Amino acid sequence: MVTLARRAATRPRGEFWWRCAALGPAVALFALLTVLPIVLLVALSLNRIQWSGGHAIWSFVGLRNFVALGADALLQASLRNTLIFALSAVTLQMLLGLGLALLTGAVVRGRTTYRVVFMLPILLPGIVIGAIWKLMYSFDFGIINIALAGLGITPQDWLGEPALALGSVVAVDVWHWTPFCYLLLLAGLEALPRDVYEAAAIDGAGAWSTFRHVTLPLLAPTLAVTFVFRAILAFKVFDEIYLLTGGGPGTATEVLSFTVYRRFFTEDRAGYGAAMALAIFVLIAVLASGAMLAARRRAR
Amino acid sequence: MQRMRGPRLTRRQAVATLAGTTMLAATARAAPEAVAPITIVINQSPWFAGFRKTVELYTKQTGNKVTLDVNPFAGSLEKQRTAVRSGQSPFDVLVINAGFFVEMYVGGFLQPLTAIRPGFTLEPDVYTFDGSPWWNAATHKIGPAAGGQLLTVPINPYIPLLHYRSDLYKAKGLKVAETWDELLANARVLHSPPRMYGIVQRGDRGAFNVTYDVLPYLWSHGGDFFRDQKGGDFTITINSKPTLAGLQTYLKLAKVVGHPHTAAETQADVIQAMATGHAGHIIAVLAAGTFDNPDQSIVVDKVAFAPPPHAPGFQTSPPLGHWLGGIPRNTPPERQRAALAFLDWFQSKAAQMEYARNGSPPVRRDVLQSELAKEERFRWMKPLADALPFARLCFVIPQAAEILAVTELRFNQAIGGELGPAQALNTMAAEIGKVMASAGVNAPRLPDLPTG
Repeated sequence: MVTLARRAATRPRGEFWWRCAALGPAVALFALLTVLPIVLLVALSLNRIQWSGGHAIWSFVGLRNFVALGADALLQASLRNTLIFALSAVTLQMLLGLGLALLTGAVVRGRTTYRVVFMLPILLPGIVIGAIWKLMYSFDFGIINIALAGLGITPQDWLGEPALALGSVVAVDVWHWTPFCYLLLLAGLEALPRDVYEAAAIDGAGAWSTFRHVTLPLLAPTLAVTFVFRAILAFKVFDEIYLLTGGGPGTATEVLSFTVYRRFFTEDRAGYGAAMALAIFVLIAVLASGAMLAARRRAR
Repeated sequence: MQRMRGPRLTRRQAVATLAGTTMLAATARAAPEAVAPITIVINQSPWFAGFRKTVELYTKQTGNKVTLDVNPFAGSLEKQRTAVRSGQSPFDVLVINAGFFVEMYVGGFLQPLTAIRPGFTLEPDVYTFDGSPWWNAATHKIGPAAGGQLLTVPINPYIPLLHYRSDLYKAKGLKVAETWDELLANARVLHSPPRMYGIVQRGDRGAFNVTYDVLPYLWSHGGDFFRDQKGGDFTITINSKPTLAGLQTYLKLAKVVGHPHTAAETQADVIQAMATGHAGHIIAVLAAGTFDNPDQSIVVDKVAFAPPPHAPGFQTSPPLGHWLGGIPRNTPPERQRAALAFLDWFQSKAAQMEYARNGSPPVRRDVLQSELAKEERFRWMKPLADALPFARLCFVIPQAAEILAVTELRFNQAIGGELGPAQALNTMAAEIGKVMASAGVNAPRLPDLPTG
């Protein structure tokens, strides 16, 4: 009895050290890869960095870089464009992905083939997608304008006309990422309990009624997670913009990641760019947390 | 005692010996000792193919290994910045654009070439491009006259040239345009959209895109960013009347005889328009190699070249878009010596002749004025040689990247119709003023242009 009691008394202490040893490397790695870069970013954002004699000269500027963000017209344009881009692209992707999942969920024949075909856009590297769509959108040589001309419709400058450019980039993003939504939502649909559908059928529910009152509520958590995942990625969009429009014409397709890239790298303003990156990081974290909380509340 | 006599030479043998000795000397000049392998970081520009072939020749002649790290324009700059700011640069030669070399000089990232090999100089026939290879670190002035140290060797002499369809000029009896009005008149004759545009201009926004292509218009009307950058007078003149006149000329050509979507036209689009027979004129950096390549063009031997036009009373004013080769400070001495051995070989006449034959414009006057220039294939050499004496630097200050971020956006907006020309220039003046103030430079502004 005494031995057992002693063991019981020492176990928590042993377990504590065991836990520390097991988690330690992971925590250290996390700190190294995630926390340290953020700490460095904060340090950068409070300074102005210049180079002289081959050395960096840091001048402490306090919160001046953050204050300057408010007067940055390019940042304001990019924030507006990013919101429009993310909301429109992700909404369309969700609708199309859900529609495709509902249509193909019950199809058994050729399932592997069509799933592979649907997945192709996500498998293609961004640079390839940019090249394909840039050619297709070309005013002078693009297949879209050639087709329009064939139909007697005036060719459009899809990427060069301010009123069309953002919509054209959204279309590429929808083409690129709809399969991602489709796959997640299809997996969600296939995991739904069959007995609920059988009960609905016995009660005489029609297709719309079943969708509205059974499928949608049961699929809500998957929809929420997919939306949040995609929205986060859409907020960080860079490659499509870089390859298709370079943020132009004017500021028509300027987005947050691209503005950070310009300020940080092209203009070589590391301090100001870091402040901008931090502000966007906080914004995305707040939006994502808000969306997750709302989804969780709704699920309850 | 019989006097020992050497073998007698006939006149022909003497000439052959002299020629052989000269060739050997040239080869010896062009074939330095075996050195460490080097890596060159470079951009993928229209002249790159010729540079690569010339590097291959260097490797073949000397046995010295050279690796090329090839990148897009902006990517090359970023790699260079990262390299020179690290403990040891992975690159031994940085091929730096005219728009950004000053930040490398100011940052102190380049090793003076005489510190690697005392007495090293540029050969007299190498163009000096407004003094850009020299830098005085104490006074922050460009040029040998400013007591600067030699930091770089010119690699490429890019400036914009007027490219025009010589076959159409002949058919329509047109005379090569010297002024903007003459260009407009010629372009009107050729303009027949959408099959053919009188002129296709670059208007897209990038790191140094639309600004570079608008500058020949601004300068040749007497406009500029500042009153006298080299002299240290940073009064902002981007919103002066001459600058406005230059921008209006660009816009007029775009509107009357240009592509309907000039604001979105990239350099690749402009070159493609000419190569596919859709452009009567372009003003672009030399792309003769593309246009005379039957695999890339339907206008082989149909494109001719001239210095960019100018307004009456002014001279042609091409901005320098040349490239300079520099050696980072943070590389070991043996690699610095190897890098300089390559640059020294590259500036030689023999190497530059090969460079030209490989399709890239050379950086030597004697090559541009050599027998090669008389060949049809090298018909661009004379106009390039004619225009180079008028070419000048766009920036001699380290704020170039920040100023370009301003001008790229606002010029693009002016061309796209989002801003009126005067409004765009006034906005640029205000924003450039902020950049200069932030850098602690006194940069007074002119009164705003009327925007009505």
